[in-house]
Amino acid sequence: MNVAARMPQGVAGDRLGARHQLILVREQDSQHSGSGCCGRLGESHTLLGGAADFSHSRARMEAVGEVYRALAERAPGLDLVVADPRNVVWLYPAVWRAARAHGMGLGATLRSMARAGSPIAVVLDGDTLFAGRLPATEQVVESVLGRLSQRFDA
Amino acid sequence: MPAFFLIVIALFAFYLGYKFYSKYLAEKVYALDPNFKTPAHELRDGVDFVPTHKHVLLGHHFTSVAGAAPIVGPAIAVYWGWLPALVWVVLGTIFAAGVHDMGSIVVSARNRGQNIGTLSGKVVSARASTLFLLIIFFLLTLVNAVFGVVMAILFQSNPGAVIPALIVIPIAIFIGQWAYRLGRSIIIPSIIGLLLLYGAIPVGQAYPIYVDGLAELVGLSVQTTWIILIFAYTWIASRLPVWVLLQPRDYINGQQLLVALAVIFAGVLVGWDTIAAPAINEVAPNSPHWFPYLFITIACGAISGFHSLVASGTTSKQISNETESRFIGYGGALGEGALALAAILACTAGLGAAGDWSAAYSDFGAASGGALGHFVTGTGHFLSNLGIPATLGATFAAVVVITFAGTTMDTGVRLQRYILEEIAELAGIKALAGRVNLLTTLAVLIPLALALVPGGDSSGSKGFAFGRLWTLFGTTNQLTAGLALSIIGVWVLARNRNPLAALIPLVFLLFMTTWALILNLFAFFAKGDWLLLAMDAAIFVLAAWLAVEAFTAFNRERVANKTRNAKTAEQR
Repeated sequence: MNVAARMPQGVAGDRLGARHQLILVREQDSQHSGSGCCGRLGESHTLLGGAADFSHSRARMEAVGEVYRALAERAPGLDLVVADPRNVVWLYPAVWRAARAHGMGLGATLRSMARAGSPIAVVLDGDTLFAGRLPATEQVVESVLGRLSQRFDA
Repeated sequence: MPAFFLIVIALFAFYLGYKFYSKYLAEKVYALDPNFKTPAHELRDGVDFVPTHKHVLLGHHFTSVAGAAPIVGPAIAVYWGWLPALVWVVLGTIFAAGVHDMGSIVVSARNRGQNIGTLSGKVVSARASTLFLLIIFFLLTLVNAVFGVVMAILFQSNPGAVIPALIVIPIAIFIGQWAYRLGRSIIIPSIIGLLLLYGAIPVGQAYPIYVDGLAELVGLSVQTTWIILIFAYTWIASRLPVWVLLQPRDYINGQQLLVALAVIFAGVLVGWDTIAAPAINEVAPNSPHWFPYLFITIACGAISGFHSLVASGTTSKQISNETESRFIGYGGALGEGALALAAILACTAGLGAAGDWSAAYSDFGAASGGALGHFVTGTGHFLSNLGIPATLGATFAAVVVITFAGTTMDTGVRLQRYILEEIAELAGIKALAGRVNLLTTLAVLIPLALALVPGGDSSGSKGFAFGRLWTLFGTTNQLTAGLALSIIGVWVLARNRNPLAALIPLVFLLFMTTWALILNLFAFFAKGDWLLLAMDAAIFVLAAWLAVEAFTAFNRERVANKTRNAKTAEQR
């Protein structure tokens, strides 16, 4: 089921890259808004520690990382973006633009935006495929590639 | 002068700074290379190292650095007049913060995304890591102390804000359960939560909460009672898992930040208020002089050392192209400057239109103790320009600051726990290892003691204590910036480039910081403020230590450069 394999490699990459964007939404393992710079907390790789506090976010980052790496390998031309759902200034306009550009109706676009604002979500061309919980990596990858394949065939 | 003109002047200066100075930094100082393989590509793992679009990364970076601190400093500093505050915010942002934030990203990215604490040991000296930990320890102590006082002052002066500020807690806990336990979307509940919060503002006004009775019962002042209640809350909040309260509140805070910025600037544009404050204020006798105190009163908003932690902690690992550090680092600094500008406008034009500016800033005690109240009143007036009753607007502003300050304290106490543990480990004290309750109690008690220093009450006989605490906070924040600038400067010099862009703000900050610390030493001694005196002396030692480390590191690189250049000349 490798979509890229079903299509001429160079063409698949180029065409996917030009037309399709996958946003992997997940929280960074750190404090983000409100504490300002004075409350920089988190990340296992800093002197300031704090990794244990955000172990749940870390687990989601790792899970998204697996999906990211798998898709980077199997659909190399796909525009992969990792965004934090607390980055409201960028995320929601981006989902809106992508959804409308790919012909989604207003209601579907708004529903997709609402679902994208989860601690973890997968958004392909403005369409939120998974939100809240992530199935197994392979299932996510197959689902994304399946959608891409349909769009490519269309 | 209409406040609108100040916005135009400041934003135009920011534009020029971005267009010309950041270009100079990018080309001549940091020599940004579009072909350099950043850690995001080299170590790409989809987890920490992810090549990220510059607009996405700017959003992450800015929401991570923006908080309440760029509001408090300018709200105090307009005491010396709007002109010095504005000039320092604008010039500091352009020539210090931009250099610092952008440079922190570049140096970290050139060192495989290592953070500034690690880099201080690597680039400056091994001792600098310990220095870094100690500076952060003092910084966090002061952050928690000043924000505890800030919240207490706001609760006391805006009892209508108590219910809305309290209601955020169950809302955030519900959102946390909804999103993290049930795995549901968080954005809609957080928007509903924000609306509920705003809906609670008139309720809070109808039912203001006073603790006067409790204060009388326990024999303490109202402000002291609030401070103790706030620190008790912070102890509990910081012992909860972050997903229960801290993280869900992030969503509400993020939205509040945007709403607050939007309404302040919209209020200025619609109201066309004039600046009521004098350009240069004739301050009361015995007030701290603006030179050097201005430069440490406004830390965040002009330059903040803690930005280096964000820049090197996350941003440097996600930057896709090195040239984008200009847009993200320098651009993020300008965003923080804009937040400080909003605070200046609220405390000059907004406050002036709402009441008597001169009375509000009659002396430094009133200016510092009432700074947040002035910001709140001024913002209330801007909201009244938009058709929202000024009292509701003021409570809205108070709630924004209180929720930000509460989040800062929650995070600050957690961070302090780690710092205490790391310092204890360095000192060979094993008794603290893994003792979370004890560490949390220490992390709360130390700033609580500072917050309760006699005179901490703005009506206290010793006056200025909050202002003094704030300036001490400013000195430690500037020392953190100084450490990051040392790293940046040494790194630039090691590449045989001109380090003046980093060196000038470094020397300036060190000079202002040490001078203010010396003046504080005399002031605390004269007043018999022994706790603050000890604190000031300790920070002074750190400043001197930093100066020695920076000088030694620069000198080492200068000699190494000479040797390298001589060898190259010989080979030719």
